[in-house]
Amino acid sequence: MAVRPLLLFFFFAQVRLSFSGELSSMESIPDLQESMYMVVDGYPCVRLLNLSGKIGCSNPGREKVVASIRRFRNANDLTQLTAVLVSLDELQDLLHRSIHICFRISNDVSFHKNIVGVLVESGAEIRDKLKGFSPTQKFPQAEFAPYPSINYEWNSMGSGIMLKAYDFPVFLLSESSTSMLQEVADKNEKVMNGYTTSVAEFDLVMQTTKAGTHDSESCLKEQTCLPLGGYSVWSSLPPINMSLSYQSKPIILLVASMDSASFFRDKSLGADSPISGLLSLLAAVDALSRVDGWNDLNKQLVFLVLTGEAWGYLGSRRFLHELDMQSDGVSGLNSSLIEMVSSAVNDALDALKRAQDSLKSENIEVLSSNSSNPGIPPSSLMAFLKKNSLTSGIVLEDFDTAFTNKFYHSHLDDMANINSSAVVAAASLIARSLYILASDNNDMHSSVLGAINVNTSLVEELMGCLLSCKPGLSCEMVKNYIAPANVCPSHYVGVVIGEPSFKPYLGYVDDVSRFVWNFLADRTSTPKENASSSCSKDCTNEDEVCIRAEINGKGVCVISTTRYVPAYSTRLMFESGIWNVLPPNSSDSMGSVDPVWTESNWNTIGLRVYTIQNGAYDHFILIGGITVTILAYFMIALARSLITKALKRD
Amino acid sequence: MTVAAGIGYALIALGPSLSLFVAVISKKPFLILTVLSSTLLWLISLIVLSGIWRAFLPLKSTTWWPFALLIISSVGFQEGLRVLFWKVYKRLEDTLDAFADRVGKPRLFLTDKMQIALAGGLGHGVAHAVFFCLSLLTPAFGPATFYVDRCPQMPFFLISAIIALAFVTIHTFSMVIAFNGYAEGNTTDQYFVPVVHLVAGMVVKSASA
Repeated sequence: MAVRPLLLFFFFAQVRLSFSGELSSMESIPDLQESMYMVVDGYPCVRLLNLSGKIGCSNPGREKVVASIRRFRNANDLTQLTAVLVSLDELQDLLHRSIHICFRISNDVSFHKNIVGVLVESGAEIRDKLKGFSPTQKFPQAEFAPYPSINYEWNSMGSGIMLKAYDFPVFLLSESSTSMLQEVADKNEKVMNGYTTSVAEFDLVMQTTKAGTHDSESCLKEQTCLPLGGYSVWSSLPPINMSLSYQSKPIILLVASMDSASFFRDKSLGADSPISGLLSLLAAVDALSRVDGWNDLNKQLVFLVLTGEAWGYLGSRRFLHELDMQSDGVSGLNSSLIEMVSSAVNDALDALKRAQDSLKSENIEVLSSNSSNPGIPPSSLMAFLKKNSLTSGIVLEDFDTAFTNKFYHSHLDDMANINSSAVVAAASLIARSLYILASDNNDMHSSVLGAINVNTSLVEELMGCLLSCKPGLSCEMVKNYIAPANVCPSHYVGVVIGEPSFKPYLGYVDDVSRFVWNFLADRTSTPKENASSSCSKDCTNEDEVCIRAEINGKGVCVISTTRYVPAYSTRLMFESGIWNVLPPNSSDSMGSVDPVWTESNWNTIGLRVYTIQNGAYDHFILIGGITVTILAYFMIALARSLITKALKRD
Repeated sequence: MTVAAGIGYALIALGPSLSLFVAVISKKPFLILTVLSSTLLWLISLIVLSGIWRAFLPLKSTTWWPFALLIISSVGFQEGLRVLFWKVYKRLEDTLDAFADRVGKPRLFLTDKMQIALAGGLGHGVAHAVFFCLSLLTPAFGPATFYVDRCPQMPFFLISAIIALAFVTIHTFSMVIAFNGYAEGNTTDQYFVPVVHLVAGMVVKSASA
């Protein structure tokens, strides 16, 4: 019949069309979905708020931001929404220009209107190219200084970009993602007039943007944000005997801080500032713990590791406040016992000199700071001085007139920025000076001092644990004490979850605080006569604490005075589930200038890259499908009429 | 892509079968039943085949002959099923003719027989398209598109829609040709269908491997 050739024709035509293109390695639809959407690991810059406004980055609304990826240097003629891929030196330029946008009357406006997302490259060569990068101010936290010269430039590299608000998302890429996205951006350049382009989808929707609460007070009331804060740790050597109703020994306080800040929230390592100080403190405690006879000395040592210092000296202010309130968590410490003697500074300087002499073989030098400095550099001592200007204190730094750390409060202040031998030297100096001060004995044998030595391998191990991802917090030393929640350490202070208390739920305390608590408790403990009892939470004896509680079956009670102290603004109070901002108090001068930093809540944060087709192509496909359907219908109708006619003929 | 593109791909793959359904099949309820039962039969054949091959999959071999064996056995099984389908149809035809004689209505015309064959083929084709193309289309409704390295000019979903369209056509028409061949005893037609099915399967598989 005539039908057969017709059918055969359609048949062969279709066979030739079935040419190619099946997948080989994918086994399911979720696999296909995963290969279509590439998840990029990036570190975001998030929205923080203070009493007068906001800083940081956020998506401008409730939606994800989708934009095609281009390199910044090629992006001179932007006609569509773009996500620019910048290197670090270009970042400062871009952000400065977007801040001053209102004041420019030029076609820069359209250029900047079209930049809706920023991706920052990272890599070893970037660090070598830059002289320095510091996104914070030139005098960090100048408002808390106890002297009036707030224009002094402690941080010459400071650009201040961290403290401005941006209405677009900014992500820092990891090294592998950087090369991947550079390829994607280059591919986009080449196929500029095609119908597909690779886009980045930024999910950085902040709850404060959604709720319209643009400062700390309103966002805390609406519960769209949480205040910055954490848990500081203090420990005394030797342990304080709680049964004695009167503590009489004067106290020497050794203070270090354990939090840093950065433009990108999760990449705040702060190796030079302040972790090198923390490492020196921990190494010094370790060295001093091997010395006997602390109970016979005239003075008491207390080691204080504060957090929240980068965001308004939260740790030190709250510690001093609790001391005044004589709270449980600081019982055993009397603020009047902290050395107020005016000769104390000279004694300390002498002790340092003597310690330096005893360490003569090791190339260490202690110098007084330059007299042209306006006063002490930004440090926790400022809070002590504001509380009582008669407090005697020394700030030990590795610089003289200005920071030598070129990457202060940036994500580049990492392990490559410090030197373990310098940390060991500082720790040795501190340990010996503290012993000299505590013993108050002028004719000490050099052999006694010579026995106080810092363990170099301990310092190197701690550096690997606290300043890198390999081994990071899964290193032996940390896992010996706690069960860390993350592997890569981050020294951002974080937010206060739940109600702040002196015996917090350990899940709300961050890894580094818990590690420092356990380390100090272990090192400052006195050995027990009886066998140690195992524990999992608290010990029955008031003088004892349970260390290694998180490791199954390894918790032991030791005699030690080591406590957590919450660190949060003195202007905040947690009442019945809500944070309230207290009005400024004349007795709390630092509180009146406290910005009261809070961090916005968010649902998820993510960054994806995928390819899209332009709208015309999609509509083309739809019309093609409809055409095919209608054409088929007509052909079938035609065939049917032909067949009917053919049959009628038969 | 977007919802528009997703619908477009679905229409490319299944639009002509939809037109065929509306124009021819929907007029006669018996044909609708035939479509449904042949779809079911084809899916059962796939389940049986996957049950048999489960022990050997996934084929991680780099040589070509395990894949060839897979295709040959699958096509062979489905062609065997087609013969079975034909035998069932033959019995059905006798029943229907006897019924028609009893109530004094005319017997099945040639066009009726071809329409039943068409409906059977359409069932197979629709099942293939739904199973191998429509199930992959869910990501096509999202914002992203996907290109495979082996064919960078067209999006993957477009390729799979066109292949599904081709297979719908092959299945539909091959049932007509096969039934015609079995009825008239025409060996050319009888061998034509399995050969074309095998060739099409091999072409698609070789292009993807």
